[in-house]
Amino acid sequence: MSTNQQARQKKKYNWAPYVLILPSLVYLAVFFAWPMVRGLTLAVWNDEANLILQVEASQNSDEAGKLPQGTAVAILDQQGNEVPVDELDEGNLQTEIWYQITGLGTDGAPISGWVPEARIRVREENDAGTPTGGSVRTKLGSDADPLTTIYAAENEASEIVGQLEARTEVTIDGLTVLEVWYLVRGVDEDGTTVEGWSPSRYIQVFEEGTNGRVDRGNSGALTSEYVQKMVNDRFFWPALGTTLLLMVLIIPIQFILAIIMALVIQANLKGQGLFLYVFAIPLAASDLAVGIVWFSIFTTNGYLNTILQGLGIIDAPVTYLSAETRYWIIIAIVLAEVWRATSIVMVIVVSGLQAISSEVLEAAELFGAGLWQRLRHVILPLLKPSLQVALILRTILALQVFAVVVALSGGDIVTVLARETYRQYFDFRNLNVAASFAGFILLISMVSAVFYLRTIRTQEEVGA
Amino acid sequence: MADIKIENVTKRFGDFIAVDDATLTIRENEFVVLLGPSGCGKTTLLRAVAGLGMADEGRIRIGDRDVTYLPPRDRNISMVFQSYAIFPHMKVSDNIAFGLKMRKTDPKLIDKRVKQSAEMMHIEGMLDRYPSKMSGGQRQRVAVARALAMDAEVLLMDEPLSNLDALLRLEMRAELKKLLADINATTIYVTHDQIEALSMGDRIAVMKDGIIQQCDAPGVVYDMPSNKFVGGFIGNPPMNFMTGQIRQDGDQVRVNIGDFSLTPAPAMQPLLRDYNKEQIIIGIRAENMETFNTSTDDALKVSVQVVEPLGSQNLLTVKIGDGTVKVSTHPTFQIAPDEDVWLRFPADKIRWFDHESEMALYP
Repeated sequence: MSTNQQARQKKKYNWAPYVLILPSLVYLAVFFAWPMVRGLTLAVWNDEANLILQVEASQNSDEAGKLPQGTAVAILDQQGNEVPVDELDEGNLQTEIWYQITGLGTDGAPISGWVPEARIRVREENDAGTPTGGSVRTKLGSDADPLTTIYAAENEASEIVGQLEARTEVTIDGLTVLEVWYLVRGVDEDGTTVEGWSPSRYIQVFEEGTNGRVDRGNSGALTSEYVQKMVNDRFFWPALGTTLLLMVLIIPIQFILAIIMALVIQANLKGQGLFLYVFAIPLAASDLAVGIVWFSIFTTNGYLNTILQGLGIIDAPVTYLSAETRYWIIIAIVLAEVWRATSIVMVIVVSGLQAISSEVLEAAELFGAGLWQRLRHVILPLLKPSLQVALILRTILALQVFAVVVALSGGDIVTVLARETYRQYFDFRNLNVAASFAGFILLISMVSAVFYLRTIRTQEEVGA
Repeated sequence: MADIKIENVTKRFGDFIAVDDATLTIRENEFVVLLGPSGCGKTTLLRAVAGLGMADEGRIRIGDRDVTYLPPRDRNISMVFQSYAIFPHMKVSDNIAFGLKMRKTDPKLIDKRVKQSAEMMHIEGMLDRYPSKMSGGQRQRVAVARALAMDAEVLLMDEPLSNLDALLRLEMRAELKKLLADINATTIYVTHDQIEALSMGDRIAVMKDGIIQQCDAPGVVYDMPSNKFVGGFIGNPPMNFMTGQIRQDGDQVRVNIGDFSLTPAPAMQPLLRDYNKEQIIIGIRAENMETFNTSTDDALKVSVQVVEPLGSQNLLTVKIGDGTVKVSTHPTFQIAPDEDVWLRFPADKIRWFDHESEMALYP
């Protein structure tokens, strides 16, 4: 083969791996990235932050201005506007029915047109409950115009077809349900007065009917409101504190134990296979089950008290898991977590140890390193990549600790970040604050992962 | 400086006896090569000396100290491992300095020693590199430099060249030999490569099945193997073996190979007269046979099967009886396959082996 041909062959790109990885990328995007981004937006995005006012009482008209949620407004005018039937049940939505009627005018000629519901008393309905006939209402008040105006279309701005006297019998040929639009005036964030039309569904009207407030907006905006709510939540600082405390307590204990366990397994003792199995058993238990097991040990009538009483060390059962003995709950959580999750670290460390060549360890021994020096100068540095993985994994898992805490403390005496996420979501039904908590956990997880990757650098040693 | 005494050392792995009652004395500053096929116990014996695998029986002495049960670091030894075993997370300088640091040597002395050994191995320009950025040959040099820096009484080398490519191995072989001649250390060198053993060692201890078969200078091991195994293992091509029939012919003992009759050297006669078996193994090296194109007295006529021109010699494969024999000839010797050639066996070049025990018979 000539060099030219070789060069041409090299240029041929190998697409197969990308084609093979495509399904997983699609899967990741659809079932992970997209929902996660959507979920996290809840924490910082207020869907109803601003109400956009229109120049005219129509969605198609120009924008007159924006009023933030909660702004007090004066209601200057109102008007009905057609609305899709499936939107009629939205909160605050005010409706107005217009009837299409036919009746005899003052001159005896029949008049056909539209009139708002306030002017018609319905007297006949068909079997389906649709009005079919009625009469024109009398206007109250002495100086009122006794005539009722009939319009060409279902709004008061349309052409006037004619007028009907009070009590005129009419047939109802059809009806349209309209949403009321208000012409409102309010002061926006910049201090400028804005005036414009808004559908009634966004406005809460006060009793007099002349004032109201923007109940919710129809356009979203970034907000720190939910994050502030989270930080100001009375459980936030205790939850963060406990989570970090548990991390600081659990991770070092786990790593020391895991390294010792891994070294024991690697020491080629008799029955080392058994050690591995025994050490790995807790991996199979669910964290809630582990929490319940340790609860049954530490509860007032639990195993610990029974044994201590049986040995005569204490006379009466001690209450460990109460608000007054919070440290016992922490101890119980640490014990349960260490018991449950140390073996995952151990498994990673064992695999890391197996990757260290035995000749390297022998060389260290031969060149004068004792057990401790071998551990410090050779084994631990060579375990760095494994420890890094384990550390990231364990930190992320420690930030998610939940079931054990709930099982041992009920989730109120001692609380953690994951527990608060759950509380906001299920107990308070506050999706946005729950999303803030979840996002906060994600943020610390990522920051710590990056921190570990940066501080425990191994590139220059392992690089090709 | 110290000598090494290996006394009746036995090492077992379960039922398998890796080293069987090995006794070997290595004199001060001597370079002894442990040579044998894989699984012969040579590495196990070296590790027993290193302290990386304790002997089950016997004693090991370095100088006047009994080190049999001492941990490696108390034996005052240093070692070069087969896979180099340099620490991948340390720079070259830290690798070389490792042993000295563990001994809490004075930092100035460490610096000096690191420089010296790096210069000896010509890697003084690589002290700040990590091993992952080095080639196999360079790592090998680091491993040797690390062993040299210890300045130990005993230097152990476990197949240090076996992971290098052929050309590099040749180069390093000469370099190591010169280096080890210059420094003062009693050296045990393990290899399965008999050329390495012949070219480097002061003495070669040939091992098989955990037993030291012979321990002598390279020339002696080559020329006077103690048994059939040693003769067959050492040399390229290995020694040729044929089975001969003992025949009394008056005062003389003669040995027949098929119809061909050999007269052993006079010195061998009394020995062979007392040899009470009918068959005997005849051993002769390829280069020790005389070859003729034409019929010659006392020469065996054989047919050439293969001719391998190797530049410095022509190697012939000829058929004798049921077996084949390798014959080395001068490159100018003209012969083609299927032609006949006459071989003469000089009596003083023939080695005799007991047919049953396969032990060599020397007067």
